[in-house]
Amino acid sequence: MWTRKASFTFTGGIALILIGMMIANLQMMILGLTFIAFIVVNSWISGHGDVEVQRTLSADNLYKGDDLYVELLVTNRSNRNTQLLEVYDNIPHEMKLRSGLNQMRLNLKPGESARIRYVLRCPLRGHFSIGPVSLRSRNTFNLGVDEMYVDHHSDIVIFPQIKEVEEAFLRSRTPKMYTGATTLRTPGQGSEFYSLREYVPGDPFKNINWKAFARTGDLMVNEKCRDAVTDLYILLDSRDIARIGTVLKNPLEMGTVSAASLAAFFLKRRDSVALAIFDDSLAYLPPDTGDKQYFKILSALAGVSPKGTMPLQAVTNSLSGRFSRGSPVFIISSCEGDGTVPAAVRDLVGRGHEVTVLSPSSIDFERLVSRIPRMSYEVLKLERQNRLTTLAGSGAMVIDWMPDMDLSQALMQVRGY
Amino acid sequence: MLEDLNLNYRRIGLQAAFWSVMLVLLLSILINFVNVTNTNQLSAYDDDWNDMSAFRQDIKDMGIQTNSLVSSPLLLADIEDPRNTTYILAGVERDTLSLPQFDSDGFITIAAEDGYSPSEIDAIVEFVDAGGTALILDDYGFAGSIAQAYGVRYTGYQLFDTTYVQELDYNYIWMCVQATPCGMNGSSIDPDTISVHERWSGASGEGAHPCKLMNGQSMPLEDAGLCAHHWNNGEISYNATYQMLLNNITALELIPGVNGALSEVSIRAVTSNEATVDVNGDGEIWVGNEVNSETPDLWGQFNLSIEACARKSCDPGEGGRIVFMADGSALINAIYDYEGFNDPNNPLYGTNECVTNNTKCIPENDNRKWALDFIAEALMSSKIGEEGQPSENAVVIFDESRHPQNALFADTYNTVYFLLVYFTGEGLAMLLLFLGLFIAFEAVLIKKRDPEPWRHVFSIIYYGFGDANRYTYYAKSDKIRQVFLSKVRNQNGLSREEFHAMPARELVSLINDPVLAKFAIEPGKYSLEQTVAVVKRIKAWGRT
Repeated sequence: MWTRKASFTFTGGIALILIGMMIANLQMMILGLTFIAFIVVNSWISGHGDVEVQRTLSADNLYKGDDLYVELLVTNRSNRNTQLLEVYDNIPHEMKLRSGLNQMRLNLKPGESARIRYVLRCPLRGHFSIGPVSLRSRNTFNLGVDEMYVDHHSDIVIFPQIKEVEEAFLRSRTPKMYTGATTLRTPGQGSEFYSLREYVPGDPFKNINWKAFARTGDLMVNEKCRDAVTDLYILLDSRDIARIGTVLKNPLEMGTVSAASLAAFFLKRRDSVALAIFDDSLAYLPPDTGDKQYFKILSALAGVSPKGTMPLQAVTNSLSGRFSRGSPVFIISSCEGDGTVPAAVRDLVGRGHEVTVLSPSSIDFERLVSRIPRMSYEVLKLERQNRLTTLAGSGAMVIDWMPDMDLSQALMQVRGY
Repeated sequence: MLEDLNLNYRRIGLQAAFWSVMLVLLLSILINFVNVTNTNQLSAYDDDWNDMSAFRQDIKDMGIQTNSLVSSPLLLADIEDPRNTTYILAGVERDTLSLPQFDSDGFITIAAEDGYSPSEIDAIVEFVDAGGTALILDDYGFAGSIAQAYGVRYTGYQLFDTTYVQELDYNYIWMCVQATPCGMNGSSIDPDTISVHERWSGASGEGAHPCKLMNGQSMPLEDAGLCAHHWNNGEISYNATYQMLLNNITALELIPGVNGALSEVSIRAVTSNEATVDVNGDGEIWVGNEVNSETPDLWGQFNLSIEACARKSCDPGEGGRIVFMADGSALINAIYDYEGFNDPNNPLYGTNECVTNNTKCIPENDNRKWALDFIAEALMSSKIGEEGQPSENAVVIFDESRHPQNALFADTYNTVYFLLVYFTGEGLAMLLLFLGLFIAFEAVLIKKRDPEPWRHVFSIIYYGFGDANRYTYYAKSDKIRQVFLSKVRNQNGLSREEFHAMPARELVSLINDPVLAKFAIEPGKYSLEQTVAVVKRIKAWGRT
């Protein structure tokens, strides 16, 4: 491709030839021809050597908001200099360059290498790809520019952030009640003895082992084996309506954060966690425990995008048969635009599940991006309150989650309903 | 399905019709630039019987350079030595491209004249004014505009004369280059009526032909130079009689009251007094004492050759000259080189009836002698010691710009070349070209951008999702009422059925607020202020 300088030279050459013809000036025509010849000869000298590019990432998977360290190794594999070569690593617009630069101007000798290092911040969850690497070479007089790509991509998955969840708010009301519950060899809430330990302020007095106190003179408390809560089911609403708000703050984004955080919390306690994501179709991860399940859940949540209008009742109808009897069910949904939510919740409660509805307040998310008249906003809020009240009346625990509220703070409301 | 098929056929038909029309239009344009029929004549660079290669070869043999002009006579302005240049135009078979240009008054005009644009005519006139020599041979072509610049007009009607060649037909007419007409004696020209070229013979006292000045000088043939065709038995033997054979001719007129570019205009050849002109072109001659619808044709004596010079002597050193002749084919190979044409053993220009049947042979004529004398006068060196030799820079230019070319796309090449010359020679076109160059520079300056420097842009597209239409819906009293009643129902733990079955009085007591009860039971119009107050009340309702 010609540069501006080349275009000027070419146009100038043509102009000189034509004006030379007009005024019968041979020198002017020769000068014009010289310009044109200069362009032509320059256009023959282009390209660069065979360049090899290798990219190394600090991690393939990371959490939203984390930093990614990237190193690009550029090696000249040809037997000639690269001349002035610009190297640019294409990174997604959703990533922020935190330090370093993703480009460099090089002139590599044969066999020579150069490293480009930079750090990216990843503010959005999702599946991303870094690359290809763009190369731009200029000829000696900067008359021509050649651009090409090295088709080298590095895929990364950005998981949703994991928020701290306090155990107290999520303790099961009926430990070890359900079929399949197992005793775990970890300390926690339960009935079987695990070990003795020293008293720390805050321990209930009823746990103090008075015999041990009498024997040793130190306050000792009994620790119990934790009983498994059994399977936990998380239903995440990823319908199109869940995009209300900004890219960083919307019901779906908060829903993925809460789903990931809850899954992390329960899996850490060695519970089984299942995840169902419903949008235009239903994606279901059966209950399982361990790091593998944790990775599966985070991967599924990383790729969630708002689409479709599947009603909740279709989800519960499809899955309720597979739910372990009496197991807790978390529904993360704004409950907007779906008239089947009360019936679905009532159905689940009727089947004996402990249903918690975590509902990001879509009206307040909408308020972040559009100007809702005050009176309409109040009426919309009233309608939403009615909806949540109906759900609470059905026997579910309902959490009205405001945009500026932290997850643990929102979960405290469980007790309020 | 059937409808779809019909639609498809209709679409294909429409497409075919459209592209057919486009093709026809394209061909109609191309036909102007591509000589599909391959018809060409009067070219100095082709060697058919109707071309002029023999004449050009003779000129080359004289040691004179020959060039062709395929674009436009505008190039004559660039000739450095017009004095030693002869411009020959034989047959103007194509009109010029009508392009805008400045006229003599400085206004913009589109060339409407025959054959040549005003700028081209100006270039020819300026060339002649600068001492150049021009020979214009035409009959029914487009040379009228050049002739008019010198006060001469081609009538454009076919001329018949009694001095025609009986062995051939009435289209072949003898022209004697002399002041008085020659006559016939039987089937040949009466020798008693033959005279000499008025100027070249020296009878007028000045302007004698240079070969006449060398007349009687003994010299070898090699030294005879441009007068070699007058060399005979070791000396120059100049003879100023010219019996030229013309074919299918028209007549020339001096335009009354018009002063041409050159002051000395002389008639060099005329017809007999019994010549006629077929004005209406019906092939028949109807003449009378006056011209009317029944006798539209003309008769009498007409001009066949006119010469215009800067000085009476027509000395090339004192200014240019131009000669008009009423026949475009006076110098074609068949007539000019009649011996080669008639030669049954070695016909140079293909077979003809003379070669095969010994009929319709071209009679002996002086066309070659006249043409070579014309060249000799124009291009002979005036330096002492170079008598008879062509001048150092002698050039003959054949104007091929108005001849259809036989090579495929040659016409296209000529047209492109014409446009190039037009844009670099014509004032208005130069102005347009300057403007175009200026715009091109501006375009490059504005449009042409170097590749943007690479830069990472962190950009998260913020988008909102919401239905602004529903905002007004949620401000309506009916919707507010519905929301309020739902709140009442929820607050009291009633099912829909129970709530709907509830009497109004019981509902009023449940609400326990006269304003809200009225709002719930009596639908009506509420002002904005009232609605705002009601919503505030609903919000507060049930908290205690």
